[in-house]
Amino acid sequence: MADPDRVLPARGGPLAGVRVLEITKVWAGPYAGKMLAHLGAEVIKVESATNLDEMRAYGGVDINSAPYFLSINQEILSVQVNMKTDEGLALVKQMVAQSDIVIDNIRPGAMERSRLGYDELKKIKPDIIQCSIKMWGNDGPLGYQTGYAPCFAALSGLTNLVGYEGETPEGMNIRYGDATAGGLAALACIAALHHRERTGEGQFIDHSAVESMTSLVGDSLFSYSLTGQVPQSDGNFHPEMCPHGVYPCADGEWISIAVANETEWQQLCAELSATALETDPHFASLALRLENRHALDKALGELCRSHTSEILAGQLRQAGVPAFRSQSSIDLCSDNFLWARTAFRMVTDHRNGSRPIIGPSWRMEPDMATVERGAPLLGEHNEYVYREILGLPQDALDDLIARKIVN
Amino acid sequence: MTGKLPPGALAGIVIIEIAERPVGEQTGKLLADFGAEVIKVERPGGSPTRAMGPLKDGKSAVFGYFNTNKKSVVLDLANQADRATLDRLLARANALIDDHDEAWGAARGLTMAAVASAHPHLVHCAITPFGQGAPADWQNAQSINVINAGGWAYHTPSEAKPDKPPLKGAGRFLPDYEAAIDAAMAVLASLHRQRKSGAGQFIDISEVEVQMNRIDGVLDRMLAGDVEPSAERTAYDMGGPATCFACQDGHVYLFMTTKAHWTALSALMGDPDWISEFEPDWLEFHCTRERVEQFRCHFRPWIAQQSKLAVTEAAQKAGLAMVPINTAADLPKNEQFIHRGFFQELDGLAYPTVPYRMSASPVRLVSPAPALGAHDPELGGA
Repeated sequence: MADPDRVLPARGGPLAGVRVLEITKVWAGPYAGKMLAHLGAEVIKVESATNLDEMRAYGGVDINSAPYFLSINQEILSVQVNMKTDEGLALVKQMVAQSDIVIDNIRPGAMERSRLGYDELKKIKPDIIQCSIKMWGNDGPLGYQTGYAPCFAALSGLTNLVGYEGETPEGMNIRYGDATAGGLAALACIAALHHRERTGEGQFIDHSAVESMTSLVGDSLFSYSLTGQVPQSDGNFHPEMCPHGVYPCADGEWISIAVANETEWQQLCAELSATALETDPHFASLALRLENRHALDKALGELCRSHTSEILAGQLRQAGVPAFRSQSSIDLCSDNFLWARTAFRMVTDHRNGSRPIIGPSWRMEPDMATVERGAPLLGEHNEYVYREILGLPQDALDDLIARKIVN
Repeated sequence: MTGKLPPGALAGIVIIEIAERPVGEQTGKLLADFGAEVIKVERPGGSPTRAMGPLKDGKSAVFGYFNTNKKSVVLDLANQADRATLDRLLARANALIDDHDEAWGAARGLTMAAVASAHPHLVHCAITPFGQGAPADWQNAQSINVINAGGWAYHTPSEAKPDKPPLKGAGRFLPDYEAAIDAAMAVLASLHRQRKSGAGQFIDISEVEVQMNRIDGVLDRMLAGDVEPSAERTAYDMGGPATCFACQDGHVYLFMTTKAHWTALSALMGDPDWISEFEPDWLEFHCTRERVEQFRCHFRPWIAQQSKLAVTEAAQKAGLAMVPINTAADLPKNEQFIHRGFFQELDGLAYPTVPYRMSASPVRLVSPAPALGAHDPELGGA
């Protein structure tokens, strides 16, 4: 009879049959793994009790039910191996030999010191795809530096563009950046799979988190190249739409409104019963509204303040004016539309039975990969990896565990 | 930039882009940069992004950026003959990228079912603000609506003030860039399946769900009840003193969480007297809002006298995560960006490229955004 620990359910999805090994920590690297797993790849996270992903430890909780870790690592498999031992490293290399992609986001130089650099991996598996995520990429004059997401956003040019007009830039919320960098790394990995399919050749992907952020403001940087004007943080300004902003409503709520043409402008004024605005010569054209936008924003703020955001947004949309409530974390968590669309979905959870997660942003028809299993226990898939993939006999695995090579 | 370049990772893949918003154009660009042949189908008169400023000599920076490495063919998809030309293009293509609302597709025979029936081999990706099946009036959303619907705007900036509005993010199109990553990723995964099976797939991308996925580490803990979700503007914040500061010639960002950071900062400033107002381990154990504000009051006048590059270089060497807030003008001169070749030049203009350096299939900027209908003769356009 097949050992249930050694058989995994078929999940389908477009990357079914692709195996990924991840040596990653915190957010950006694990997020890359999550993207590939949610597309159907078999993603194995190499872990050790001697060198835990901090996300298993935050808050001093049980390493197998740490909220940060559970929130990111669904459909990831966990194998334990102590990479501080030669024997452990040899096992990792055996895993590499059975994988298509290896992703890491550990400190610059750490993979090479463990003899897991691309030149070494290529000897083990000539067509391996290795993606290494670092703040500044893997080499170069600043390649030694490490940092946190808001640091790489600051370095990237993105932070400078977020803030209120004429003030010190503020940047995106401090949590922004890691996930995006991971997403772009996953994208490059799949592109490399295509290259391998066509040519038989693997490759090394040298990924920069700073440049990930830079690539999100490409048009602003290109504009600078074209016009010589250095873009600055500009609040909610848009050169082709006005009004274009977020306005206060009743009960501390906010509404986003974007007006792209004269019809939308007239509809907005009508819905707000703002005859004075509609007939005000200062606001009679896009050019005039842009010129007088601060006065216009102030007037709109006063008009919106008595409205409930959700209701006003619905009225405006019905009238053809793009508008939506500015949603808070609690708005999102309780949004019926999102729940009905399975934007949130349930996965298995070792402690509570099930846990809601934020599902993938895509649906596929047919053959969407299932996303049903929550984040793994530490070493939950030791049996699968060592017995099934590497083909070790049970007594050999028992011995590795006893000697804490697998721990 | 021509000659003996190695073919890109997607050499041989043909993508038809009928998208007309930055989100779909950026999706096509990501794929074109990997070497796919991306054929942009434009309405008579051209894509609406061609009119988006800033303009230089009548050319749009927005269109110029989002459409490098592509071909352009003009087709009026409401016209039967042109619509038939599209079908001929789709018959030899691998994927179709769309970013219109569902009614637009229905009016042109481009629904999921119609495309799957006519071209079962095709990967068909539809990108919309809220995904397929959203109420009709939700489908007419601009980027600022998407980033507000998805939560990032409400919780940006960190330490948001109650009287200041949520922010749209960097530039005009931040949620477009984000959704384009997931769209390109899903298309590439699906094309991998197509290589194995010959079969197509329909991909439904929700721009708002991309926004939510990017905050999984915070929002999911709220969803699961590990942390209380709330209507506080600061609900995504981390606390602590990290923020942007004005210096003599620009701005710097300081991130600080440990006693070691504090000691390093103190030394960097020459151990001023006011440091004694703080316990050495205050960042770890006494980090209240009041203390943070007290620190910033002392720090601001000092940092205001410093030069951006000198002070951040000294900080890095001391193990302190203080970095320059780089501007568009700083980046092309930055030694690391130069080392990695992040900006590539074409016709005298510096184009930002991609964050991945690929050893076997490097991304190359081959051609600027095409003139309207530049490839009509070869592709059967108007």
